Amino acid sequence: MAADPVVMTEDLKKYFPSKKGAVKAVDGVDLSVLPGEIFGFLGPNGAGKTTTLRMLTTLIPPDSGRALVAGFDVFTEPDKVRRNIGYVGQSGGSDLPATGRENLVLQGRLYSMTAAASKARAAELIDLLDLEEFADRIAYTYSGGQRRRLDVAVGLMNRPQILFLDEPTTGLDPQNRANLWAQINKLQTEGATIFITTHYLDEADVLCDRLAIMDGGKIVDEGTPQELKKEVAHDCITISVERHEQNAAALLDLLEHADFVLEAGAEDGHIRLCVSDLATGLPKLMRLLDGQGVSLETVRVVEATLDDVFLQKTGYSLRDLTPEG
Amino acid sequence: MKVFVDTGLLFKRKMLETLRNPVFIIVSMITPIVYLVLFAPLLNKLTGVPGFTAGHVLNTFIPGLLVIIAFLSGLFVGYNMIDEVKNGVLERMRVTPTSRFALLAGRVLRDLVNMTVVVVLFVLLAIPFGYNLNVLGFLVELVLLAMILITTSSFGNALGVILGDEDKLSPIIQGINLPIILLSGMLLPMELAPKWLQVVAHFNPAYYVVEAGRQLAAGHFLNAKVGYAFLFMVPFTVIVVVWATRTFQHSVS
Repeated sequence: MAADPVVMTEDLKKYFPSKKGAVKAVDGVDLSVLPGEIFGFLGPNGAGKTTTLRMLTTLIPPDSGRALVAGFDVFTEPDKVRRNIGYVGQSGGSDLPATGRENLVLQGRLYSMTAAASKARAAELIDLLDLEEFADRIAYTYSGGQRRRLDVAVGLMNRPQILFLDEPTTGLDPQNRANLWAQINKLQTEGATIFITTHYLDEADVLCDRLAIMDGGKIVDEGTPQELKKEVAHDCITISVERHEQNAAALLDLLEHADFVLEAGAEDGHIRLCVSDLATGLPKLMRLLDGQGVSLETVRVVEATLDDVFLQKTGYSLRDLTPEG
Repeated sequence: MKVFVDTGLLFKRKMLETLRNPVFIIVSMITPIVYLVLFAPLLNKLTGVPGFTAGHVLNTFIPGLLVIIAFLSGLFVGYNMIDEVKNGVLERMRVTPTSRFALLAGRVLRDLVNMTVVVVLFVLLAIPFGYNLNVLGFLVELVLLAMILITTSSFGNALGVILGDEDKLSPIIQGINLPIILLSGMLLPMELAPKWLQVVAHFNPAYYVVEAGRQLAAGHFLNAKVGYAFLFMVPFTVIVVVWATRTFQHSVS
């Protein structure tokens, strides 16, 4: 690999004591994040995503293992790590009784920037994240989306080598989510490295260059969204037959036993079947249906989603746990 | 040094909050003014009874009220801290190289300035009511009040960080508030108390400050009670500040 990773962990562990014995919040995580990429942690609440992030950002010490962030050890050189990272926690971090600009300038000063440098950097970020409109208003008056953008700007004041975003779009409406995604993509084109945690499948799919799927304190799979989906391999087809077809149950039975079909099931008026290869499977399906004299109302091809990947790796669906709101 | 620079930055930041919302100063003066107007007149006939030997009753009563102001100015700051914990402000700052001591000290300094303003205004207000101000005594008294404030503000802030929740903070704050006030003789001198109450009061650091305050108001700088107050308050303040700083360093909020 040409460039050194910005984040590198080896067998990182964090257990929390509880009445029922230790909870293995993070149970041996190995990962690396390369410069310039958006790396995502996908998993349900309690998977250990936030705990890992808190160790990487020096908020809590690891129990064992090693983590280098921006080239420094989080355990032995926390101060150097802090100088080189930006962090936006789940609850934001902007100081609400102050204006956006005051938040930014103070953050710069806390990184030992001069007043002038801090003001200049604040102006830069106000421009980059489109905060002009409200930068000089007290942050209490901001909308959820505006506040989030300020949070991100605050995290960027020290020109960090990597920006950690802990579930940045939780609680935002769809429009503000899309807006924040656009801002994050823009940051990447400006050269930023971003580490994001999320429990939204679409967010991980759209935003991340590389993903680690986390469950029960462990990374269960890792790769680009495309690679992960390809691993699951099968594409699915949803069909619905015309209303007057009375033999839906018989048809389902027939499909279930067809050699090119991996699995089939009825799903609110439709039949959903997965095939190992769409290119050969689809013509076979058509011939089969034609031979039975079944006429179709709709055919829809559904490519594998990250939820299919999640389901296969963990045995349960992320969508069931966190209904998209 | 970074610790001083950061303390200054965070002090300025918190001070800005006070300046933008100066009504806080007025709110802080309501409780002592209510005592002055609605309670102090009850004491007028007590002139000469044990504890009220220093001329006008206000000369006994005002020093106690000043301790109440200092005490209450610091005790309730935990609520503001909890807001910042919940909004992630404290966590965000902990991921910067900000001095951990400064995170506490900036806030405490702001509370100290607020308290000083309130105390000075209140003393000036009490003069027309018959309070006999001894300026030098008052200045020494301010040092003692500062230690009360530093103690309670550090304690309140650290408690806010540890608990992170108003519902958990309230019972603790309310639980210690009244006993400390009553056992210090702030309202009525402990000379009036039965022996057992006087003994218990001696375990209350605020008691020594109240007693010393009354001596200072009368110009008795060399009274042993003044010495006792410093003897108790200096180590007590140091212990609480060290504990609070450690809490800020290790906080898991």
